[in-house]
Amino acid sequence: MYELTGVGKTFTNGSRTIEAVRDVDLAIPDGSWIAVRGRTGHGKSTLLNLLGGLDRPTSGQLKLDGRDVGRMGDAELTLLRAAAIGFIFQTFNLVPTLSAAENVEAALVPLHTRFAERRRRVAAALDSVGLADRSGHLPSELSGGQQQRVAIARALVKEPRVLLADEPTGNLDEDTRDEIIDLIAKLWREHGLTLVLVSHDSAVVRHAERVGVMARGRLTFDSP
Amino acid sequence: MFFFTYLTRELRRRLRQAIFIALGLAVGVGLVITVTAASAGVKNAQADVLKGLYGVGTDVTVTGPAPSPPKAGSGNGNRSSIMMGPNGAQMCTNGKCHSLKNGYTIDNLASSSASPMSESLVAKVAALHGVAAAAGGLLLTDNKTTISQTPSQPTSFTVDGTDISHQKLGPLSNAVTTTGRTFRQADSDKNVALVDKNYATSNGLKSGGTITIAGVKFSIIGIVTQPGSNPPDVYIPLARAQALAKNGPAGASLKNDVNTIYVTAASAADIPAVQNEIAKLLPAATITTPSSLANEVSGSVSSAAKLADDLGKWLSILVLIAAFAVAVLLTMAAVSRRVREFGTLKALGWRGRRIITQVMGESLAVGLLGAAIGVGLGFAGVAIIDAIAPTLTATLIQATGLHIMTPNGAVSPTSSHTVSVPMTAAVSAAAIGAAVLLAVAGGLIAGIFGSWRIGRLRPADALAKVG
Repeated sequence: MYELTGVGKTFTNGSRTIEAVRDVDLAIPDGSWIAVRGRTGHGKSTLLNLLGGLDRPTSGQLKLDGRDVGRMGDAELTLLRAAAIGFIFQTFNLVPTLSAAENVEAALVPLHTRFAERRRRVAAALDSVGLADRSGHLPSELSGGQQQRVAIARALVKEPRVLLADEPTGNLDEDTRDEIIDLIAKLWREHGLTLVLVSHDSAVVRHAERVGVMARGRLTFDSP
Repeated sequence: MFFFTYLTRELRRRLRQAIFIALGLAVGVGLVITVTAASAGVKNAQADVLKGLYGVGTDVTVTGPAPSPPKAGSGNGNRSSIMMGPNGAQMCTNGKCHSLKNGYTIDNLASSSASPMSESLVAKVAALHGVAAAAGGLLLTDNKTTISQTPSQPTSFTVDGTDISHQKLGPLSNAVTTTGRTFRQADSDKNVALVDKNYATSNGLKSGGTITIAGVKFSIIGIVTQPGSNPPDVYIPLARAQALAKNGPAGASLKNDVNTIYVTAASAADIPAVQNEIAKLLPAATITTPSSLANEVSGSVSSAAKLADDLGKWLSILVLIAAFAVAVLLTMAAVSRRVREFGTLKALGWRGRRIITQVMGESLAVGLLGAAIGVGLGFAGVAIIDAIAPTLTATLIQATGLHIMTPNGAVSPTSSHTVSVPMTAAVSAAAIGAAVLLAVAGGLIAGIFGSWRIGRLRPADALAKVG
């Protein structure tokens, strides 16, 4: 469970200070799906980075399962990301030289999983996103939707508790967008994930249990 | 292993860049190997020359000071003149006259290049700290002039008075007997001689024949040969040389004298100390070590040595620096293009150290490829040098000991010995090892520069570069 209390993040650019996230109070129970929408540059991705341990808040407290993420050392944060948090990015972020299976396998490298177990889990993950027959293909040989499916398999292969998705359908056409959202929803249910999804697309965010809006760094919810 | 899969895939993606970096390193490595091999070849050629001059086992050579020119009007008391007598022209020396009807031959064995030193000094040198062995010798010239009514060209050849009890020191140490035999202890007072093969061939001398030295007939007991150098023409026992030779064409006897002392140091590290000790004992003597002698060798072998040492060394260093710089810049550029990729890996939980290892592995692989190509290029360079390199020549200028009086005073002419030395570039395992290490170091340096940025990369910043 995430517990955010007065979380803020400021960036300094020379003499300018930018408050990307301001005073966010939020509780995200395990297994829930929260969507955050808002205009570009209003702090959605920064909030997601804070939740994923990719960055530390400059104020407030951000706890995951009672542990203060902001006070964790680099090694501890890296381990947290490796074991508990899956990421899905707008631009898929697949390693272009690795095949679909190898891209998924990359998520298991920091966990030192045994070779045979690694292969089994990679095959299962690709099968769960419907790409068992494309495991040897390079990203450049896959469509956008297929690449995002590989990215989803990569996020889920380590069986995380949290899935963070940053504009996961931003680079896809409408039909593919719907396919991907349906897939994410299915996996969320099956795996009991805590899902935080950031998107500016109202058709995407409506699948969430709760929808928040980021405006000038502040997060507000339409309904409790 | 995922590490190798990722590494090979990445290198395959950047194949042209990887080959470009590897070739840059390879050119540097190839040049280092070629220049080192050429330099070693030149040094070997120099060593061959030096070996022939003073022998294999000799570390230090001590020669008496060059004889000083005689003052004008001075002499040694001999008075020679050509007079007309009742039986025709005759040559008179100190009142003793010889008819020139059938020609009169003057055959002198003289020490002309260095002043004599007492033979007792050999024992003193041998007793110095750091000296393993010492032997005396007489480097002499036999000058033969026939004065007759039909003038002929004077002839000369070099004679080495060899200490038979120390044949492993001095010019004879490097000689190989091709026919006959070498000296025995019993030969020390006999008129026996060894003749250099080249001199024997050009003068029709054979083992079992005779050669006249200082008017005395010597039996030729063996023919010897020495590789690529300028050895003495004839070797005779030291005692016989001392008995027959004079200091200068008409000087005093050299009995109990030597003009060269050959010294072996206890170890190579002792040579400078031995040199100093001898200088204290014999302040007027000329002390020569292989390194100081090498500086006196001129000719193309010397030019080649300078070329290899100066131009070759600096060219190699410059090319290596350029190759390293190119490798570093291209690796840094490649890392810059992969910031998003590394940010993603960090988001997946890869430690910075693991990513750095991956990049270093790629750089190391490029370095090894460069080393492999470089070794090939190096051997090709060596083959080209061996194929096209002209035979080198080494010239050693020595005092003749002759003094010619001119209206402007005395002149002491020098003689120069020029020898042809074939040059073969020599590739050593150490040179290859060093070159491979250089290429690997180049790759690793490039990797370190590239990785330095990854180590400082914050995952959120890296991902901010995305789209």
